[in-house]
Amino acid sequence: MRNRFAATGRRGALTLLALVAVAAGLVLVVVAVAAQQSAPRPPRAVGRIDPSPTAGAAANPRASASADPVPAVSGPTSTPLGASRPVRITIPRIGVRSPVLPIGLADDGTLAVPQPGPDLDKAAWFQNSPTPGQPGPSIIEGHVDSDQGPSVFFRLGDVRPHDTVRVLRRDGVTAVFTVDAVRDFQKRSFPTSVVYGGDLHTPQLRLITCSDFDATIRHHVGNEVVFAHLTSTHR
Amino acid sequence: MRKSLRALVPIAAAAVPFAVLAGPASADTGTSYQTTLNALNHSSGSGMATVTVHGNQADVKVSWSGLAAQFNGGDYPHVQHIHIGGQGACPTIADDKNNDGVISTTEGGPAYGGIGTTLSTKGDTSPKAGTDIKIAPAGGSTDYSRTITLSNDTMQSLQAGTGVIVVHGLDPATLSKQAQKEKSDLVPSLPLAATSPALCGALSSMPSGGVATGTGSTAGVEQLGTFALGGGLLALGGAAFATRRRVSAGR
Repeated sequence: MRNRFAATGRRGALTLLALVAVAAGLVLVVVAVAAQQSAPRPPRAVGRIDPSPTAGAAANPRASASADPVPAVSGPTSTPLGASRPVRITIPRIGVRSPVLPIGLADDGTLAVPQPGPDLDKAAWFQNSPTPGQPGPSIIEGHVDSDQGPSVFFRLGDVRPHDTVRVLRRDGVTAVFTVDAVRDFQKRSFPTSVVYGGDLHTPQLRLITCSDFDATIRHHVGNEVVFAHLTSTHR
Repeated sequence: MRKSLRALVPIAAAAVPFAVLAGPASADTGTSYQTTLNALNHSSGSGMATVTVHGNQADVKVSWSGLAAQFNGGDYPHVQHIHIGGQGACPTIADDKNNDGVISTTEGGPAYGGIGTTLSTKGDTSPKAGTDIKIAPAGGSTDYSRTITLSNDTMQSLQAGTGVIVVHGLDPATLSKQAQKEKSDLVPSLPLAATSPALCGALSSMPSGGVATGTGSTAGVEQLGTFALGGGLLALGGAAFATRRRVSAGR
């Protein structure tokens, strides 16, 4: 008799344990599946990097400048602005609206990146590059993801030529840029002079994030770069 | 992983894969320097410059606009140089020692140093050509591109971070009445405006290689910890059922 009662009690406990474990397990698996997300993969190359309408195809017949049939973004390049730090970037197409911090070089000579902490998921402007609206390429970068998950430029791979990027400056002027091209470069062959240099005359913007995650070595081997030029300014 | 989920399943945090960041790699050979050129002395101009060094050769690009366009009925010559051996900085109005409202080339000297290389349009690039207006870019804007041989002094200054690009030549009308009457501190036959600095930018290294803007937390399978915990609980549940059946069978 005692044996039977004991057996019944153990059966009840095991049933309860089994049900709870299975229910909790299912919930966790569903939660994990629901949390799966991945950054949009940028195209290898769309649009023309050289936006200058005056220095058109005839003046710049470099074959590498034209990557696909997307027509060059037209429209006048706006008059350059003076220096004033960027404070906020807005990219309507991908829902980005972020403060912009100044950032310098890391000890190894690469562009530093926002570090873990309150600024990790903010966009960062390379402080030795022109301020947005000044002549030359202004550089703004952002993480695609961090240990916290998707970051500020998570969806940068969805940006395409003709999209708009707005940068509010400390002087109250908003510099409006139109995207000319998107490139996906390999980090080991990153074209430094194309991204940080190039046309020094036209006010331009470059947006940079990571791309091409290599699962075997567990890091990103590519950098997506969005090329844009200034098309208007307003207060 | 979202923060709320991390709070729900703390153990999952430990399983978030972290990636070793990619080491720097530069595709371009040579060392590159860059600077924005900002207005001095209310010149209202702006620009940008890059210097890419290969051995003792340098590809120098200087682009600027918004400077005075006319001088004595002709295109305004704007002499431009890489200044070296100073503090590697641009002067401020605090350097205007004689309080005439203009930072003269001499007054700017402690900040940006002396002339290391003259960025002339042709011929001599030594400091001797520093005030030769016949080989200076002329007009209100320029897109200057020239490959030149750098002196050892200039090379060392670039590496030390004390190279500064200075473009000279102000619109006299923007000067104070006092300063409009003054003669140049460099070339006494010219007015002060003609040789005073209009644009300045301290050269610094261009970033090398790409940027490390991601950890890969959203690449591949995320929430590995949650999957593991969920799977473990399912296995535990299965084991409990099996044991329960054995207990029943043994009755």
